[in-house]
Formats: sequence, C-alpha cells, structure tokens
Amino acid sequence: MTGYILRRVLQFIPTLLGVVLLVFILFNWIGGDPAYLLAGKMSNPEQIENIRKQLGVDQPFYVQLWIFITQIVTGDFGVSWATNEKVSAIFATRLGPSLTVLVPMLIISTLMAMAMALLVAYRRGSLTDRAVMIGCTVGQSISILVYIVVFQYVFAYQLGWFPVQGWGQDFITNLVKFSALPIVVGVAVSLAPDTRLYRTFFLDEIHQDYVRTARAKGMSETRVMGVHVLRNAAIPIVTNVMIQLPGLLAGAFLIERFFSIPGIGREVLLAVERSDFPVIKAVTVYVAVATLVFNLLADILYKAVDPRVQLK
Amino acid sequence: MAVLLAAALAACGEPASLPIAGPTGDALPAKTLRITFQTAETGFDPVKVSDYYSGVVIAAIFDPLLTYDYLARPAKLVSNVAAALPAITDNGKTYTLTLKRGVYFTPDAAFKGQSRELTAADYVYSIKRFLDPKNRSPYAFLFEGKIVGLDQLAAEAKKSGRFDYDAAVAGFETPDRYTLRIRLNETDFNFSHVLAFPLVGAVARETIAAYGDDTNAHPVGTGPYVLQRYVRSSKMVLAKNPAFRDMRWQATPGNDPADQDIVARMQGKKLPLIERVEISVMDEAQSRWLAFQRRETDIEYQLEELAPKFMTAAGDLKPEFADQGIRMDRSVDPEIIYLFFNTQERIGDQLNPLGGFSAEKIALRRAIAMAYNVEDQIKIIRKGQAIRAHYPIPPGVAGHEPNFRSGIAYDPPLANALLDQFGYTRGPDGYRRMPDGNLLFLKYYSTPTERDRQFDELMKRSMDKIGVRVEIHKDRFAELIKLANQCRLMMKHSAWIADYPDGDNFMQLLYGANAGQSNSACYKSAEFDKRYEKSRQLPDGAERNKLYREMTRQMEVDTAWLLTDSRYRNVLLQPYVVGYKKHPVFSHEWLYMDLDAR
Repeated sequence: MTGYILRRVLQFIPTLLGVVLLVFILFNWIGGDPAYLLAGKMSNPEQIENIRKQLGVDQPFYVQLWIFITQIVTGDFGVSWATNEKVSAIFATRLGPSLTVLVPMLIISTLMAMAMALLVAYRRGSLTDRAVMIGCTVGQSISILVYIVVFQYVFAYQLGWFPVQGWGQDFITNLVKFSALPIVVGVAVSLAPDTRLYRTFFLDEIHQDYVRTARAKGMSETRVMGVHVLRNAAIPIVTNVMIQLPGLLAGAFLIERFFSIPGIGREVLLAVERSDFPVIKAVTVYVAVATLVFNLLADILYKAVDPRVQLK
Repeated sequence: MAVLLAAALAACGEPASLPIAGPTGDALPAKTLRITFQTAETGFDPVKVSDYYSGVVIAAIFDPLLTYDYLARPAKLVSNVAAALPAITDNGKTYTLTLKRGVYFTPDAAFKGQSRELTAADYVYSIKRFLDPKNRSPYAFLFEGKIVGLDQLAAEAKKSGRFDYDAAVAGFETPDRYTLRIRLNETDFNFSHVLAFPLVGAVARETIAAYGDDTNAHPVGTGPYVLQRYVRSSKMVLAKNPAFRDMRWQATPGNDPADQDIVARMQGKKLPLIERVEISVMDEAQSRWLAFQRRETDIEYQLEELAPKFMTAAGDLKPEFADQGIRMDRSVDPEIIYLFFNTQERIGDQLNPLGGFSAEKIALRRAIAMAYNVEDQIKIIRKGQAIRAHYPIPPGVAGHEPNFRSGIAYDPPLANALLDQFGYTRGPDGYRRMPDGNLLFLKYYSTPTERDRQFDELMKRSMDKIGVRVEIHKDRFAELIKLANQCRLMMKHSAWIADYPDGDNFMQLLYGANAGQSNSACYKSAEFDKRYEKSRQLPDGAERNKLYREMTRQMEVDTAWLLTDSRYRNVLLQPYVVGYKKHPVFSHEWLYMDLDAR
C-alpha cells in the first residue's frame, strides 16, 4: 500500500507540470496585459512599464515560469495584483463560507440521490420509476440560473422563509440562516443527475448472480438492497463523490454571487474579471492538487469498500 | 419538479411581512443605513485605487481640502477642511489654503496613543504619494506636470527606486502648520477641483508606514466615518467618527422644489446624522432588487437593467411602489458615451480607411456617424435609460451647454448621398469601395460581453444601410485599452465619467497631446488644440464656454466622435430615507442625509 501511494504521489509531478504549463500559456496568450487595467483611466507608456516591472510581467517567459514553479513549491503565491491582499489570506478567508454551503449540499444531495436511486432501481419499470426518471430528465434540463432565480424569488421574497441574501459573522447563523436556501438550490440542481446516475449503478448490481443467490437463500429485500447491492454499487458512487470534492475548492460561483456569499467561487470570478493572475494561478494549482489527492483517496477507499480490489 | 413546485408556490400571493434587519440578520442599530455595491471594492488607500466603489468608502473616511455644495447645480466648490476656498494668485499659478484647526485623525495604534492633528504637511505628503512609482497610482495624472518640482522628484525616484518624501519640493510651501501654498507650473484656474477630488484626502505618514503593503485594508482619516468592520469583497461597516469636527449641514438650494424640503429638514444640523452604514456587495441585480423590496436594503443605486419592473414608460415610479412610500431619484450621470473614429492616417503599418483630414475621409466618418442609429441604442440597448448626448460635457458639469444640438443628425439617405458624392461607389456585392477602387473594410472593436454583442449588431445593421462593410473584432477589455493607447483601434464605443465636475475633464479627451492616453481617437487638430490650450488658462465662465463650443464644432467638422448618450441613474429610496439628492460627483450622499424611524 505504501509503495502504491508513493508511486501515485510521484505521478503527481508530471501532471502538475502539465497544468502549470497550460495555465501559464493560456494566461500569457489570451489573458491580456494586466498593466493596462491597473493603470487607470489615463496612463502613459512610462506608467505602464513601471507597473509591468512591479508585477514582473516584463521578465522573459522562462523567468516568469520559474517564479510560478517556485511559488507552487513554497505555497506562497504573493499578493493579488488588484487589491494587494495576500493570496493565502484570500483562501483562508473565502474557503470557509464556500465550504459552509458546499459540504452540507454535497452530503445531503448524495444521501438523497442514493435513497431515491435505490428506491426507483428496486421498482424498475413501475409508475414511480418512470415518474421519477421523467422528473429527473426535466430537472436536469433546467439551468442552475433558473433554479436560483425562481427559488430566491419564491422562497425568499414571496414566502419569506429565508433571507434573499446575506452573510453573518458566526458559523451557526451562516449555516442555518444564510446557507439554507443556497443548499436547497444546490441539492435541487444535483439531485436529478445524481439520482439517474446512481440508479444505473444499482441496476447493474441488482441483476448480478449474488443478488439472486441472496434472495434464493431467503434474505430480506431490505438486507439485499440496503447492504449487498448498496455496498457493491458504492465504488462508482465513491468515485462520483470524489470527483466532485475538488470542485468545493473552486466554490459554486453562481450560488455565491446570487446569495452574496463571500466564498472562493466569487473571488475566482473577480480574479478573472480583473486579470488577477496570482489568484487564478493559486486556484488552478490548488484544484489540480486536490483532484489528484482525491483521486488517490478514492482508489484507497475502493479497497476499504471492496476488499477484492487490489492496489498495484 | 422542484422548479415547477416553486413556480406553483409563487402564485401564493403577496410576499410575507417585511422584516427590518440587516442583511447579516443581526438586530439593526438605530440610524443604520444599508446600501449595496454591485461590484467588489479593491481597497481604501486613496492613491492605490481607481474603482468607483472603493472611492465611495474613501470619501467617507478621508477629507479633501475642498468639497462641493450638496444641492447646488452645476456642482459648486465649497471649503471642507480648508477654512475657505483657496486664494488664487499669480495668474492662477499659486493656490494658498488655510486649514481649520482642531481637525484630528481617528485614533489608531500607529499614533501610539497620541492625538494626531491634521496639518498642511499631511496634504503635501498625501499628494506626493500619487507620484511615488511604488504606489503605481491610477490617478497620478491629476498631478503629473502640474506642481513645480514634483515631477523631478518622481523622476529621481524612478531612477533610485526610492521616493524621497523628505525632499523639499519648490511647489509646496507650508509656512506654518495650517497653511499650504501650492505653486503650479502653468496657469490653471480649475486646480481647485483636483483639491476637492475625494481621493485627494489626507493620510497620515505614520499610518502608511505602519501598515506597509496593506494600506488598502487600514484606512485612517479625519472624515465623518471610520471603517468598523471589513470583510473584503463582501461587507463594509462604517461607524460615525465620534471625534468628527463640528460640521453643520449647509447647502444652497437650487430650482428643484424638493431642495427646499431638504433644506427645511436638514439645515444647521450637526453631521453626520446617520450613525452607521452597512455596505453589502451584491453582484446580481435580481438579488439587489428583491432585497430592496424586502427592505433588507435602504437605497438601491444600480438597477438599470430592471428599470421596467419599477418604472413606467414615462420614467415615473410605478404606483404600486409609490403607494408604499418608496421614492425614486432620477438624474443623468455626469458621463458621455461616444463612438470614436481613429483619425490617424495609418494604424500600425496599415493605411487607415477612416484616418486623415481629406474631404473624402471626413465624408466617410460623417456618413458613418449619420448612419449610426443612436435612438435604437437608447431604446433597445439602454432600454430607454439614457438621454441623447449632444455636447462633450454632460449635464451637471461646469461648461455643459443644455441648448447645444449636434450638427450630425441621423439620416441614412443623406449619408448614402454623401458617400456617393465622394466616390465611395457600391460594388456588385452591394458594399462600397474606396474612391481608389480598393475594398472599403472597417473594423469595429468591442468586448465579448452580452451587452457589447448588442452594440455589434446595431453597428452592423447601421452600416449595412449605407453599404459599408464592417468587421467586428472582439477582445478582452485590457487588450482594448492597450490597443487604444497605441492608437490602433479603428472604431469603438467609449465612455467617460467625470473625475471632477469641470468641463476640462471632458475636453481633454480630444486634446492632441493626450493621443495614446485618454484621446482614443488620436485626434490631432491644430484648431482644436489651440483653443483647448487657451481654455486651460481660463476659469469657468462665458469666455471658456465660448471656446468649448468652438472646439465642439471643430470636432464635429472633423467628425472624430459621434456622441451617443448619457445614462440615467435611478435611485430607489425607502420611505424613511430623508434628504437624498443625487450629486453629480459625490458618491457618499449619506453624509448629508438622515433616517426616520423605520
């Protein structure tokens, strides 16, 4: 196991280098010159040059690339070009609000989708199955923007069950009061595709020989479905959840914008609008690292879920 | 399913009872005003920022020497921490100001427990900071080339890498703690507007030294408010400065009948009356609109895209909102939007079909200007939330001419006739050729946004009417600025909002020496420049206005621009908000306002 983990960690290096190169080339190729944005309404070539020098974008590309790699190794991405705030401080202060919304959203939507998928898989072909699948197809085809706008209008404005937007100073208020509606929106958005996906995982298992054997042995349907089918379908479900985890780092920018949540998603969008390369670089690298780490964790979890899995 | 369920619930009727609480859900302290920003601020160091929203907070925390009368229109200069307006001598080259005594910075650890009085030296230091290369100030242009000896100091700093704040500058004199004398390189009777610019407020050298690179998060000034809580890009809470000097509400009412009501209610009261201001960044108009209707906010400034929801076609507030006591303040922003044409004969190493001042080139620019449908721009793109701009100086700004009418009217048939007359004949494909027979091919630049796509379509439609082929070039905003600074944009819409309410701030956009800076058309006209240089020697008044009219006509003759519109600002106010009136340049009107019980 240790050898496997070490090998995988070593494989991170070329993958990360690829990400670094891609981000660097994309930003320098299509990102625009930030000096012109920072120079204000009236600038002369001398001012532009001064700003370029201070930002280091007047350096040859290979020097800038080396600085980027050094930043990744040291974990110090410097300061935001737009606000002078430390990039590490941006992550430290914005990640909390994002996770306050996204973690409960992921847990609730995964549990609900699993329960619904298990139910409709068990009743495959029934009216319930068909109704849920039609509902899921419709739900999937609606844009997240529509969910946000409609839910905000109905549940916050019309019914007054939630505040329209806002964010407080303590965790409990934020979780219970301000995150509630964003979580509902997030769950509503992901419930349909997750239910459809997990249903197929369960259906794959329901027709396996071990299920038939279990039933032949007189095992209760609750135990067959709730233990054996669920456990065997868990591997692709774990994979799906793990794929979603790195996204937590990038936040859910639309939800954060509409509900005025000071999260990392909104910050990333701002950074792109402002050509704030240090923030963009940091987010990209962190998400890439998180993706690699969570993929590794998923593989290790397979082993825990199914002892037959061999890690080589 | 969930959306359908929600939609069904939407039919359940009126919104639930309206809570009165801050967007944070905390109990709302008395006299708390809740407002929104539609974009995140960048910070509060006056020399380091240029965005509007940072400026709003800075204006509440720092004190410039001068300010503007709250009600007078066009904007009228009045003293702020200066005891009076400056004494202008030496033919507009020397400004002498005396500071009020007993104005103190708000307590801060940087002052080590001592009271820190504002002095003339603080303004010298604060102005010098604009030219310190390390600060890369977006508003350095306010002082560049203006003050005797200051540019030399900046040049030395560029060489040495260190700005010597202790070095004497001939243009600054402080004969005593409270007197500041500024000597200018050239006559400038309008320099007072620079001294009233909110970002030219005084900072204390000790606080700048104490907070190093993070001055954006630690504003310490002498103004009416202090920054009590700051969550970057999300929340700013300003509290009344308990040690604020004795400043009384005083303003000169204009012709607007509402002015008298405001004066009757406010005159002579000690400012500020609002104890606390909560600012929330809300990026989306939908959220701001719903929050305002739920009374989660008290003033809403930026709802242009949702105007049809609360305004009638005549521009009045819809009765259902007026019945709730909601009020709307509607004014035209001190800005101009214009379509500029690059007047240089070459763009890079290519010939510019629009450039030059020969009769056929001017005819082509004129025809484009006559074919571009400004009314459609206002009606379709602006959704009626703009007025036609006829003059380069917008309403509310000194030098504006309300009766001036542009000589370039929308007239596609006449534009076609003009092109025919000057040899721009149509080819078999219906598109026109240059007089020398080459293809006529124009490039229009815009950003890849939804709004700019509407401009692209309107431009294409307008040019098709005169058989002019136009290619749309999309690029990022930063790249377009870069191209504009290199005089490489052939044709583009641009906007300029007043930094200070003086005509010079707008007329300089066409000054030849500013080509490659703010003069994106790279327009160089000896006739225009001669008058502009003369206008800079004059104070606001009839003589200068005459020059401005002549300059505008000259620009129209050369057709460097087509002025299109100035946008309305519709401000919605809850019933308990008292004393609001949009000022052409103030962004912090709440200093002069009050709140009734909710």
